[in-house]
Amino acid sequence: MATAEASVAEVRGQPVVRHAALTRVIEAVIGASIFLILLQVLLNFSLLDAEFWRRYGGSFETGIGTTLRFVGIILPLSAVLGFFLGWLRISRFRTLSWPVSVYVDFFRGIPPIVIVIYASIFGAALLQARFTGKDLAWNVAAVALALHSAAYQSEIFRAGFQSVPRGQLEAAQALGMRPTQSMFNVVLPQALRLSLPPLGNEFAVVIKDTSLLAAIGTLDLFGVSQDFIQAVFLQPGASVYWLLTMWTAVALVYFAMTTAVTQVLLFLERKFHVRGLEGVSV
Amino acid sequence: MIRVEDVHKYFGTLHVLRGITLDVSKAEALVIIGPSGSGKSTLLRCINLLVEPDAGRVFIDGVHVNRHDINREWVRQQVGMVFQSFNLFTHLTALENVMLGPIRVKGMSREQAEDKAKQLLARVGLAAKANAYPAELSGGQQQRVAIARALAMDPKAMLFDEPTSALDPEYIREVLDVMTALARDGMTMIVVTHEMGFASNVARRIVFMDGGVILEEGHPQEIFEHPKQERTRAFVSKILR
Amino acid sequence: MGSLEDLRRQRTRTFDTIAAVVLTVGIIGLLLEVLVGRYGLSWTYIASAWPIYLRGAWVTFYVTTVAYIVGMGIGFIIGWARAARVSVRKPGAQGAAVFGVKYTLRRMGDGYVAAIRGTPLFVQIVFVSSVLVIRFSSLDPNQLALIAGLVALTANTGGYQSEIFRAGIQTVHTGQVEAARAIGFSRWKAMRHVVLPQALRLVIPPLTNEYIGLLKASSLLLVIGIVELTEIGRREAFFQGKPFESFAIVTGLYLLITVPVSKIVEYIERRLRVPGLGIQQAPTTRV
Repeated sequence: MATAEASVAEVRGQPVVRHAALTRVIEAVIGASIFLILLQVLLNFSLLDAEFWRRYGGSFETGIGTTLRFVGIILPLSAVLGFFLGWLRISRFRTLSWPVSVYVDFFRGIPPIVIVIYASIFGAALLQARFTGKDLAWNVAAVALALHSAAYQSEIFRAGFQSVPRGQLEAAQALGMRPTQSMFNVVLPQALRLSLPPLGNEFAVVIKDTSLLAAIGTLDLFGVSQDFIQAVFLQPGASVYWLLTMWTAVALVYFAMTTAVTQVLLFLERKFHVRGLEGVSV
Repeated sequence: MIRVEDVHKYFGTLHVLRGITLDVSKAEALVIIGPSGSGKSTLLRCINLLVEPDAGRVFIDGVHVNRHDINREWVRQQVGMVFQSFNLFTHLTALENVMLGPIRVKGMSREQAEDKAKQLLARVGLAAKANAYPAELSGGQQQRVAIARALAMDPKAMLFDEPTSALDPEYIREVLDVMTALARDGMTMIVVTHEMGFASNVARRIVFMDGGVILEEGHPQEIFEHPKQERTRAFVSKILR
Repeated sequence: MGSLEDLRRQRTRTFDTIAAVVLTVGIIGLLLEVLVGRYGLSWTYIASAWPIYLRGAWVTFYVTTVAYIVGMGIGFIIGWARAARVSVRKPGAQGAAVFGVKYTLRRMGDGYVAAIRGTPLFVQIVFVSSVLVIRFSSLDPNQLALIAGLVALTANTGGYQSEIFRAGIQTVHTGQVEAARAIGFSRWKAMRHVVLPQALRLVIPPLTNEYIGLLKASSLLLVIGIVELTEIGRREAFFQGKPFESFAIVTGLYLLITVPVSKIVEYIERRLRVPGLGIQQAPTTRV
């Protein structure tokens, strides 16, 4: 009863909008904490098992570092490529747009883990003449993941370009702007802003996709955790419940990363928001 | 000043312009009326080459412009265009909208362009709204900014494509006033419109287009009160409710 | 018709199309040649081994379909629950309680979807697998893996499908229930006869895309030892020394299903598109 009355009073007196953001965050934190506590009680494990963290902590840190490193390679690469491909895709020259369509259909049509597996096989062998190292297979696979995400991002950028009303392009032309000028000064600024939210989702997917690299033996967060499982059952004093602790912790880390990325891009979109522009449907 | 000679345009199999010949003298304000689909907008766009004529010739100030080797950007600087849907750049303020052309196309310095833009916005009565974004302006205000934006390029002539058709009635007057003042100042203009009051006041000649051809032309009085062709009469009676 | 400009434009058009085809085929051909040159291509192998791949494809298909259907039930219920408007509140203690319950349920649904979307499918799979290993350690490992995989996939698609259903219902919902009730429909009848029929039309394209997404995502089940199509491909590539052939078959089989279905969905969406109305933005399962 008290809470109901309190919320009603809030709504009446205050600007509800500002409250909403903060309350949502607090809510989320409380909700997550309750959920985690319940989870531990139901499944009989503890997130704060000291012995577990003593043994796993180092790998945990290395794993996160490797994951972030891969993210640092894949995100910029895929964004630049995706932007460029999106631009080509809307060209009136089929010579430019058809190859890109085929590329996009291919990379969107097969599972990313297939790309990772075969890229590591083929890439390493094909480039072995020039480069060496077991890291080679991993980096090739990472680049392949970038190619994969670029296909999705090209669609996002393409939708962004096409969302800018055609009349603005006409107006720019009527002023005497060359095609490149109208692209840079009129279409691009607006297309980029429109693309930001779906891009945030795609970046989150990239972060999650890095876990696939573990399938070829990478020591990213997922990979080190899988390796640790072998250790769990070999060492004395290991508890099978550590599995749950570990995967929950890993899930939380990924969740934090994806949330951070999407929130940053949503924030950017709000900051540069242009009233009068519709959203992008991808 | 502007001469259109036997211009044809096809969109696929649709013969939209069927041999239009038209002369517009310097400082003349010409009004084109006609039912939708008659090719009026297409004709305007053939003049500033947003659309390429399939046959015929277009001359601007004596220069034959629908040539294969013409510099289109130069042509579009000679004639400015104002659109039915304003087409203001939504990510720029009113001032920046007007400044963009002079800076990027004419290579003016930022300060010069800003001064010029401020003058033009004052001329259309919107000096106070220089820093507003298009979404914050009414339709009439947006269209006036669009006129200022076109004028910023110092064009020799202006093309108006149904400039008030998308406006709420209370905003039509302010835009027509700006256009009337422009005509009085001696700007060569071709205006496609349904606003008969404006046409009567400002135009020396009215052209009636239907089905891709010019059916009749003459003084506003002639066209409105004594139209010679049957279709002209039908059209005029419909809009002169 | 037929000025010089026209002819010139026609010619560039045809030249452009030919160049496009040549370029595309050329690049693909070049890539294939490099790979075949390095790894070889044995048609006898393909002729003899394709049943193995088909068995894997069957597992993929089976797992995807079961998870999709069960997930649809979950997704629909959660989606509906999340689409309900929680802002209207009846006065008094009972009103507050009802509001509280609705609100909590809705937030729980939000949390569930956020968890699914915010964590990798890999992690979801191994987590479920760990829970089953601990709780039901007596089970045969193969059975356990299959159940774990199904549960994880179902939970995953359930989350994404709830987003789709929620978006579909919300797009239609505004004002329509009021309008229907003004005519005399009860709340339930309004839902059944007015909102749902329209929502159904809206959700079919994204739901189809979700099936395709799930199909691709099922490849991740190899991490707990389920032998689906990608796993077959991987084994054949490593243990039979036939990387290119396995790549070609696996990729070919996936593309055979995903590309035509996506194109059909695109076509349908384009035909039925009402400007401003549509839930193409609804996210689908990505790994």
